[in-house]
Amino acid sequence: MKMTRKTALMLTATAALAFAAPAMAEVTTNTAAPDFTAVDSNGISHSLSDFKGKTVVLEWTNHECPYVVRHYKDGNMQGTQEATKSTLNDDVVWLSVVSSAPGNQGYVTPAQANQVKADKGSNATAVLLDPTGELGRLYGAKTTPHMYVVDPDGTLSYQGAIDDKPRGESSSATNYVKMAAVEMAAGQAVSNPQTTPYGCGVKY
Amino acid sequence: MRAKISMRFLHRFVIAFVLSLMAGGLPAFAAETEPVDTGEVVGQVVSSHDVVAPGQEFYVAVSTVINDHWHTYWANPGDSGEPFDVSFELPSELSAGDIIWPLPKPIPTGPIVNYGFEGSPLFPVHFKVSDTARAGDVLEIKGLVYYLVCYDICVPEEFEFNLPITVGEPVTDNRWAANIRIAINDAPAASDLRATMRLDNETLVVDVLTRDAVSNPYLFPYKPSLNNPSAPQSFAIGERGVQMSLEPGFVLDNGFKGDEQFLLTYDSIVDGQAVRAGHIITAQPGAALDIGAAAMPASVEGGASMTVLTALIGAFLGGLVLNLMPCVFPVISMKALSFARHAHDERSAIRAQGWLYTAGVIATFMLLTIVLLALKAGGTQIGWGFQLQEPWLVGLLALLVFAIGLNLIGAFEFGTGLQNVGGGLAAKEGAMGAFFTGALAVVVATPCTAPFMAGAVGFALAQPAIVTIIVFLALAIGFAAPFLLLSYSPALLAKLPKPGAWMERLKEILAFPMFGAAIWLIWVLSLQGGQSGLLKILMAMLLLGFAIWLMQRGKLWKIVGALAVLGAIALPFTIATASVTTALNLDAKLPKLEWSDAKVQALRAEGRPVFVDFTAAWCVTCKVNELGALADGKVVQAFNDTNTAFLVADWTNRNDAIATELAKYGRSGVPLYLYFAPDNKSVKGDILPQILTVNMLLKTLEGS
Repeated sequence: MKMTRKTALMLTATAALAFAAPAMAEVTTNTAAPDFTAVDSNGISHSLSDFKGKTVVLEWTNHECPYVVRHYKDGNMQGTQEATKSTLNDDVVWLSVVSSAPGNQGYVTPAQANQVKADKGSNATAVLLDPTGELGRLYGAKTTPHMYVVDPDGTLSYQGAIDDKPRGESSSATNYVKMAAVEMAAGQAVSNPQTTPYGCGVKY
Repeated sequence: MRAKISMRFLHRFVIAFVLSLMAGGLPAFAAETEPVDTGEVVGQVVSSHDVVAPGQEFYVAVSTVINDHWHTYWANPGDSGEPFDVSFELPSELSAGDIIWPLPKPIPTGPIVNYGFEGSPLFPVHFKVSDTARAGDVLEIKGLVYYLVCYDICVPEEFEFNLPITVGEPVTDNRWAANIRIAINDAPAASDLRATMRLDNETLVVDVLTRDAVSNPYLFPYKPSLNNPSAPQSFAIGERGVQMSLEPGFVLDNGFKGDEQFLLTYDSIVDGQAVRAGHIITAQPGAALDIGAAAMPASVEGGASMTVLTALIGAFLGGLVLNLMPCVFPVISMKALSFARHAHDERSAIRAQGWLYTAGVIATFMLLTIVLLALKAGGTQIGWGFQLQEPWLVGLLALLVFAIGLNLIGAFEFGTGLQNVGGGLAAKEGAMGAFFTGALAVVVATPCTAPFMAGAVGFALAQPAIVTIIVFLALAIGFAAPFLLLSYSPALLAKLPKPGAWMERLKEILAFPMFGAAIWLIWVLSLQGGQSGLLKILMAMLLLGFAIWLMQRGKLWKIVGALAVLGAIALPFTIATASVTTALNLDAKLPKLEWSDAKVQALRAEGRPVFVDFTAAWCVTCKVNELGALADGKVVQAFNDTNTAFLVADWTNRNDAIATELAKYGRSGVPLYLYFAPDNKSVKGDILPQILTVNMLLKTLEGS
C-alpha cells in the first residue's frame, strides 16, 4: 500500500492536466513576428516575409461567430480596414485567417471563403485558409476576432482584441488596431501593445 | 361490497379535490420571476425574501439551468468567452453588491481552455434596503442578465427582468432562501491563507499554505491573461501547503505590479465525503514558502481515483463478505454439510475437496467475466448482475434451485451410492460435487452485491480487459477462501461433529432455504415476465417434480421422465419480458416516480431535492434497503417535509439508459443511491452508501 501511495505521489508531483491537442505558442510583442507560409482562398501562397516593407494586419475570423458577425454587420471591421489603410498610406496588407478545423464552425472551402468575403463586404487583401490550425497555433490565436499588427520591418507591434467593448458599443469603443496604426504612422511606440482578446474560441 | 367501495372512493376523491383547491391559493408575491428560456439556458431572478424591512439585508440571485454540455463563464473566462453578468437598475432604496461566484472549473475545447460552469449555477448578490424605505412600498428590482453560453459554438443570450419586492414585516421565501444560503456556503470565500508568487524560469510559481489535506489542486487567477489558461498546470503537495506552477500570460511580461487574487480549488475530505472546495487567496510577490515535506494527497473515494490495488483488495474483501449474503447461504450450507461428512476422513481428501471447490468458483467467475467482457466489447450496455436480466436464465436458475431443494429433502438422490450417508463415498463423486457446488455458489451469488464489491466491480469493468480479469479473480479467491482455509485447518475440522443421523435431519432442513431462494427467483420472474411468466415457471416446476418422481420408476419411465425434464427446461425460454412494474411501492404516502434523466433535470430546475434509487427485482441488497431504511416512517416524513422527489430506476430488465447512467458514476451494478441537493450546481449527484440507514438518510435529506 505504501509503495503504491509513493508512486501515486510521485505521479501527482509531476502531474499536469494534459490536453490532447498540440501546444499553443505565445508570441511576445515587440519581437520578430514568426514567419509563415499559407495558401489563400484563390490558391495563392503567401509568406510573411513577402510583405516586408508593408504593415501586415492578421485578423483571425469565423464568419458564424456572433462577435465576428456583429463586427461585419456594424461595419466595424470594414471601417478598421479602411482606417488602417488610409492612416498608413495604403501600405497595409490585411490578411484574414480561418483556422477552423473541417467540420467545425467557421470552416470554409476556398469557394465559400470568397463568397463569405464578398457577402460581408470585406476589403481584406487575402483570406488565408488554415484548416490544420498550424498558423493559429504558431501565433497563439485564441479567439475570433484576434488581431495582430506587424510593422514594416517584421516586428509584432500589437496583438489582442480589436477594441475594448466585447458587447458591441462600437461607437464609444477604443479601437486598438486603429490606434496602433495612428501611432505607428506618427513614428511613436504603440501605447497598448497587447490586450486580452475577446470572442468565440478558435475552433481548432 | 361494490357500493361500499365506491363510497370510500368518492369520499377520498372529495378530500383530494378540496385539498388541491386549497393548495392552489398561493401567496400573491412569490419571490421570483417567471423562468425565461433564452435558448440554451433557462434563467430566472429570485429573492431570499418576499417582503423586506427598512434597513434589512437580503439576497437576490440569478438561477440558471444550462443545457447539457453547454457552459457559461466565470469572472475570468479564460482563453475566450465573456463572464456571466447581471446589471441592476435599482430604486434609491436598494443597493447591490458584487456577484458571489460559484466554484468554476476548467473547460477545455481543443487547445482552448475556459473557466466556467455547467449544470445549474446559482449566482447570489448581496442587497441592502436603506432606512428610508417605507412599509407598503413596492421596490422594483429591474435589470439585465447577460451570458455567453458555449458548447462547440457560442451564443450570447440575455433576458430582462423585473422583480418587485414589498417593504414591510420580513417574509422569507423558504425555498430560495435555503438554496441561496447553500450556494453562498459552497461558494469560494476570501481566506486568510498565506500565499506568495514569483516568476521562476518563465514559470509563475504560487505557494499557498493550506489547512486541509489537499488533492487535485487547480489555480484560477482572477485577472485575465495573468496566466495562459491553455497551458497545463503542475503542482507539488506538501504537508503544510501546495505549490502551483502556471505559465505566465502577457500581463506579467514586465513582472508583478502588486498583489494578485487567485482562486485555489481542490478536493478534500469533509465528514467522510469527497468535496471540491475553493479559497480566494491574495498572493504577494515574494520568495517561496515552505510547504513542508512531500505529503500524500487526500485519498478521495470514488471510481475515478481508485487504483488497481485498492480495487483488488476491495474485490477480495467483497468475495469474503459475499459468503454471508442471503442468496449464497443455502448453497454454502450444503458445502458445510459435505465438509462435516468428510471431516474425519483423510486430510488429503479434504484438502482436495477444498481445492476443487475453489476451482469451481474460479472457473465460473472467469467464465462470467469473459462473457461479460465479450458482451461489452460487442457494445451491449450491461453490468454486474446481467445474468439476472434475462428471464430464461432466472427461470433455469429457479428450476435448478428447486431441484436441489428436492434433493435435500430426500425426493431423489444423485446416483445409487449415496444411500449410506455415514461413509465410504466415492472420491470421484465427492470431487464432482465439490466443483459443482463451487460453480453453483457463484451463479447464485451474482445478484447480491456485497459492500466493497460495487466500487471494485465498476472500476474493473471500465479498465482494460486484463485488469477486469484480475479483479474478478481476486473476487473469486475471496469468495472461496473461507472453505479452502477450512479444508486446511485440522483444528476447525476436528470441531465439526462426527457423522450421524443428525446429518440427515440437517440436510432436510437446508432444503427450506433452497425453496426460499426458488420462491424469490419466481417472484423476480413474475416481475420480468408478468403473469404468463409466473404461470410458465410454476408449470415448469411441476413438470420437473413429476419428472424426478418418474425417473425413479422403471426403465421406460426414465425416458419419459427425461423428456419431461427437457420440457421443464424449455419452458423458461418461452417467457417473454413483460414491461416491468416499478419497485415495491409500499408506502402510498411517498409517491415514487419513474426515473429518466429529463425528469431529474426538470425537478432540479424546480429547485426540488431529488433522490434516485437504482434498483432491480433480483437485487437483494436493494430490497433490504427498500423494506428497511427507505420504508421507515421518519424517512418518509423527511421526504415529504423537504419535498424531495423519489425517483426509481428499475434495472430488472436490460435498460441502456440506466446502464449508461450507472457508468457515469463508475458503477456497473445496483444498488446505487443518488442525492441531488437543491444547491448542487454540478450535473452529478452525491453518491450515498450502499447500505442505507435511517440516520444517514435523515441527515442527507434534512441537512446536517
